[in-house]
Amino acid sequence: MSLKFLVVDDSVTMRRIVVNSLKNLGYEDIIEATDGKDALIRLSADEKINFVITDWNMPVLSGLELTRAIKSDERLSQIPVLMVTTRGVKEDIIDALKAKVNNYVVKPFTPQILREKIDQIIATLN
Amino acid sequence: MNGPTNISQIFNKLNDLKAVFVYGERLIPILQSLMDFIKDTVPLLENINHSIADSTSKLPKVANQISSVSIATELATTEILDLVDNVNNEISNVEKTLHTLVEKNEQKDLLQEKLSAMLKDNHEAKELFNQYLSFDDLSKTVNPLFKTFEKIKDDAYNITISLQVQDITSQQLAAVTHLMESVQKRLSTLVQDLEDSAPKTIEPDDLCSTEAVTFDPLARYSKDPYKQEQVDSIIKSELKSTTQAEIDKLFS
Repeated sequence: MSLKFLVVDDSVTMRRIVVNSLKNLGYEDIIEATDGKDALIRLSADEKINFVITDWNMPVLSGLELTRAIKSDERLSQIPVLMVTTRGVKEDIIDALKAKVNNYVVKPFTPQILREKIDQIIATLN
Repeated sequence: MNGPTNISQIFNKLNDLKAVFVYGERLIPILQSLMDFIKDTVPLLENINHSIADSTSKLPKVANQISSVSIATELATTEILDLVDNVNNEISNVEKTLHTLVEKNEQKDLLQEKLSAMLKDNHEAKELFNQYLSFDDLSKTVNPLFKTFEKIKDDAYNITISLQVQDITSQQLAAVTHLMESVQKRLSTLVQDLEDSAPKTIEPDDLCSTEAVTFDPLARYSKDPYKQEQVDSIIKSELKSTTQAEIDKLFS
């Protein structure tokens, strides 16, 4: 299964780090979005996107709101969402699970953790 | 009939009045010292008021400086990421060149084998050829370099990963700026209450408002794996309870 990633983060640094990490894992088909709203525009414009990695704290539309929007949209609901955020308190994690995120990584992440979480999601897709 | 009683009551009242005057006379020095104390504290209060107003007026500058630090670190981080990318690209180019050299050397080895076979009767030529071959050991020299390149690439990638600190510290700085905004607002109110003339309030343009900046006030840069383990454990237990709840729902 070929994967096309959408990396959503308002921080240029974090986008580059996640993109570099994905390239390091062998994934080349990656596009970026600066916030949740931008991500939804890109998702509606590109049907090939089949994996979303998003930050939580973003202006305009947060990662949590983006996840809710994706999961409540019939056309997008099957796209897995991996939340990568600094937020690590229980209430936040529960909110993310209620929004139906597929997995959750806390920053700063290690390459091993990112790989592990992506692999876990891919395994459930297959 | 009532005459003496009335006079007696008047005297009583006069005595009460006298007692009040006596009490008043004792009270006057106390009131005087209270007034003196208030007089003394007025300049002090004015001084406090002035200090608060002064500190309040400095907050926008500090907030803007914090914001500048955040922007500068993001620029510096981008430059580091660019440099790391350049290093990786250069290494990849060198690797490609060396791979080509090694491939060509393998072709050369085949030719050398053929040449060696042709020289088998010429002992002097063969000896010279073997001497020549002893100087031509490219694979042994190059192969360890590939391992070194891999190590450099891993180190470069780890630098990239460590730069997550920039995102986390910028969130921490945004949290501090937000806190300063709140303090400034409260101090402004306090100063306004203390004096009639309002202090210089911070205009939106003066202060880099954090309203548009989103941040996690609890953001921390920690490489402790416990944090992720804790998240995984919460997810596991939540999913378990959700699944159990769904099962219970089915059988209820």
